[in-house]
Amino acid sequence: MEFTKLFTQTQVERVHEASLGILENVGMLVRNEKALIIFAENGCQVDMETKMVKFPREVVEKARQTFIPTYTFTAQDPKFDVTMPGNRPIVVTGSSAPNVIDPKTGEERRATSQDIANIAYLINELPGFDVFSISTLADDAPEGQFSMSRFYPALKNCKKPVRSNTPNMEDLKIVLELGALIAGSEEAYRKRPFINHHYCPVVSPLTFDVESTEAVIYLTEQGLPVYGTIVPNAGMTSPLSLMGTLTLGNAEFLGLATLMQMIRPGAPLIYAVLSTVADMRTGAYAPGAIETGMMQMAHTEMARFYNVPSGGYIGLTNAHSNDAQSGYETGMNTTGALLAGADLFNMGGLLGSLMAFDFGKAVIDNEIALMLKRMKKGYEYSEENLCLDLIAKIGPGGSYMDTDHTMKNMRSIAVLPKIATREMRRRWEDQGKPDAYSRAMKEANKILSKPNKSRFTEELDAKVRGHFSGLVAGDVDWSL
Amino acid sequence: MSVQDIYDAVVAFDIEKVVALVKVEVEKGTNVSDILSDGLIGAMDEVGQRYTEGEFFVPEMLMAAKAMKAGLEVLKPLLSQGESTKKGTIIIGTVKGDLHDIGKNLVSMMMEGAGFEVIDLGVDVDTEKFLATAKERNADIICMSALLTTTMPFMEVTVKAIREQGLNLKTMVGGAPVSEDFATKIGADGWSPDAPGAVETARRLTAK
Repeated sequence: MEFTKLFTQTQVERVHEASLGILENVGMLVRNEKALIIFAENGCQVDMETKMVKFPREVVEKARQTFIPTYTFTAQDPKFDVTMPGNRPIVVTGSSAPNVIDPKTGEERRATSQDIANIAYLINELPGFDVFSISTLADDAPEGQFSMSRFYPALKNCKKPVRSNTPNMEDLKIVLELGALIAGSEEAYRKRPFINHHYCPVVSPLTFDVESTEAVIYLTEQGLPVYGTIVPNAGMTSPLSLMGTLTLGNAEFLGLATLMQMIRPGAPLIYAVLSTVADMRTGAYAPGAIETGMMQMAHTEMARFYNVPSGGYIGLTNAHSNDAQSGYETGMNTTGALLAGADLFNMGGLLGSLMAFDFGKAVIDNEIALMLKRMKKGYEYSEENLCLDLIAKIGPGGSYMDTDHTMKNMRSIAVLPKIATREMRRRWEDQGKPDAYSRAMKEANKILSKPNKSRFTEELDAKVRGHFSGLVAGDVDWSL
Repeated sequence: MSVQDIYDAVVAFDIEKVVALVKVEVEKGTNVSDILSDGLIGAMDEVGQRYTEGEFFVPEMLMAAKAMKAGLEVLKPLLSQGESTKKGTIIIGTVKGDLHDIGKNLVSMMMEGAGFEVIDLGVDVDTEKFLATAKERNADIICMSALLTTTMPFMEVTVKAIREQGLNLKTMVGGAPVSEDFATKIGADGWSPDAPGAVETARRLTAK
């Protein structure tokens, strides 16, 4: 599949050059002390007073030489390991929403560790999702267990790669302790690190924060999987032009990538973004806007220039329910990104611009994910697939219904949706005119009503609960 | 030339004109509180109204607030304690761990535009700093902002500390992930989904 190109080679190189110019002449504000030292030791001009760092272009170009083209998400169960770009598109849930749409009442409320357990199981079972980024916070977290109340129910109920963040180093280290306990030993965990860390260490414009940057440095030093998302918001934290925001975001990606390569040359990277254009009427955040898809397409083209995997939070929606807006925002933006060659789609399950998880939305997004994967699989061009012999055999006026060829392909050539309806109107009316949302909730209910075979064994769970006292239950508990 | 011209210049976000016109009125001997309330603050009320109606976009509201503030700077030395029409003192900042300050800055400008004294502590502000500054400046409200869902818990820490120390201080919270329910749950006194609403909430909380 040839990918959509928005720019000429000269234009791509100009964006790169311009980004180098920004890093060299404007520089970045680096609020993390360790990062300042790393930059200073590796050829940047660092002012320890003002915390301003300027990057000579040869420093960034040197870092670029150790970029690697692949990134792997490791899972508790090796059959769920996925590597970009080979397995693309990698579809990931949206993450860290404070709220959930209550599946019984339909009302938004604060999410809990039990919601996380239910979501983890659902994502484990939905084939369109490759990685479970912990979708919500846990409002019921006991004191001091903010992160444990998220990671424990997630890892307990989902064998796919689990991805999330932690607010500080203390929480990060406890989560890694949990990982080692599940793996059996620290050594075993390091061989297959199934917790995939993600942060937004760069706050646009051109600033490294303290806590997230600290985590990225630590994990990169340790050789554990971590990547960052760059999040400029045009009109607010970046110029109100697509080109300006692309260039600023690209410079920020290079700044972060340079830090990681300085720490460990060859550390895997994802050129991940959530570049948006703010709605200047109100200042509203607009991740569902079509410009988000356009920005992802352009960043992906830059990522191809750097030969690193690309993607980000793409396919989010501003809609508050599973209405047409929710569908067209997720659908249009992910389609654009896919056609441009993006590898990673953080898209599943969230409504209201990352504010609330919705079970129906996750099931609908699973179906969109399957469609995207179908599109990526593409035409499978071959002489055989032209079917010339078959066309000659059937001839004019015949039917292909009862051929071996059709029998062979009928379960694999097309996506067979569970949510999209293909019923005649009358049958649909007889069923009570179910919309996509109610069909999706029915599917969620079907999955979550069965016992979770992927849950921790009792033995492992007893070990974890014995090691960490006062943990939340972390079990699936579902009824509609 | 009149106070109405100052009002119009604020609504037209003309910083230089506001400053020049305020100076002219002061030289003419116009009552300073009239310039403030009828010219500057009155204009910002209209700006807020036009924003609410969708006529003004956010950058226009911000520029108007800047123009208002520039005019206020001219008046400041002339406002004696008795004349001061300060509606209250506000301490504002993003909470610990959070550097996202666009929303906070907008609220800060709008609060100043509405006549509050605003002490902006910037970003990554911990509880100690909020409280120490509030005590030192005898503040009325502490306003906390967060964009990251993972930094929201620090709002609760600060609200708790205020209650524990029995301080006579109101608290307001805001930022994209902060809901009214969350504000109620952590015991904050005020919440708003946007900047003009924050001004309204602050007015309500400081109403004597």
